[in-house]
Amino acid sequence: MTHDPHQQAQELIACGEHDVSDSQQAWLRIHLHGCASCRDYAQAAEQFVRSLRSVPVVADLALVRTTQMRVRLRSRELQQRRERMWLVWMSCILVGLSVAITTPFLWRGWGWLAERAHVSSPVWQVEFMIFWFAPAIAASLLFLARGIHLTDANGTSQG
Amino acid sequence: MNAAACYFVNGMESETSAIARGLHRRDPELLDRLIEQYQHRLLRYLLYLTSNRELAEDMFQETWIRVLERGHQYNPKYEFSTWLFSIARNLTVDYLRKKRPVSLDGLLDAEEGVSLDPPDLRPSALELVAQQEQRERISAALVGIAAEYREAIVLRFQEGLALEEIAAVTGAPLGTIKSRLYRGLNALLPRLKGAQA
Repeated sequence: MTHDPHQQAQELIACGEHDVSDSQQAWLRIHLHGCASCRDYAQAAEQFVRSLRSVPVVADLALVRTTQMRVRLRSRELQQRRERMWLVWMSCILVGLSVAITTPFLWRGWGWLAERAHVSSPVWQVEFMIFWFAPAIAASLLFLARGIHLTDANGTSQG
Repeated sequence: MNAAACYFVNGMESETSAIARGLHRRDPELLDRLIEQYQHRLLRYLLYLTSNRELAEDMFQETWIRVLERGHQYNPKYEFSTWLFSIARNLTVDYLRKKRPVSLDGLLDAEEGVSLDPPDLRPSALELVAQQEQRERISAALVGIAAEYREAIVLRFQEGLALEEIAAVTGAPLGTIKSRLYRGLNALLPRLKGAQA
């Protein structure tokens, strides 16, 4: 805080009366009573605020309607995206459950077939892993690549 | 806190809570109402921030899209207008920074003039001319000062935000806001006086 009373008074005037404490207001009143230059400053500031508030700046109806329409369209898009994401999550959960339930049976069935075909254990186990997990890994990589692509596109468009 | 003040605070909290709930649900009716309610204040702020009608209108629309997308982040402890202005400000600053990596003033200097909306109220030709002159005088004076001073002055004296709210909107400390108001007024008043002379 400055020690120059004129600057202090002008700082208080600039803050506006609602953001100044009672004691500061009282001090300012006394100062203004005895200081013509600060009184002029206060009057000029008051006049400016009155003028500023009297300037009519209005949004036109077309802008408001366009904005409302854009907001509604975007809202619908977000809703649809949320529904799609819900479907994806449900599919993932169902696939996960299905894999957890069926894998032990398939493992046994594959082993039984390998035994019949006289294939050694390490070979059929590796074959099973490739047959069982390769499609899922490929699909995951594809989804990941697409996800990264979408994130980049959003970042660019929002930027 | 006396009963009236308590009633006022509770009333404000319940209103902001209702807004927060509606924004969380992305309630289109609520958004329509908010757009209508804050249309003039937001556009006025953006106009003074950008000094460009077209850009201000673009930012107006983008602000409401952002309000829709980030509605769940609104904290009902604060006034909705404070949050709205801070979104508008961030969007505008980001846009201007990307468009031209200099301060807001750089853009303002390049503009040919301020095109604030003409008034709809036209009681008489004389009053119309007087209003027009006053508007041009104030706009010219505001455009002539630094953007951060102009922003503080518009938020304080036109939108009636408290100092703490301006600090929240701009992300600047309270002391900086006080200083911007003081320096802004000091820069502005001589310009207005000069324009009147």
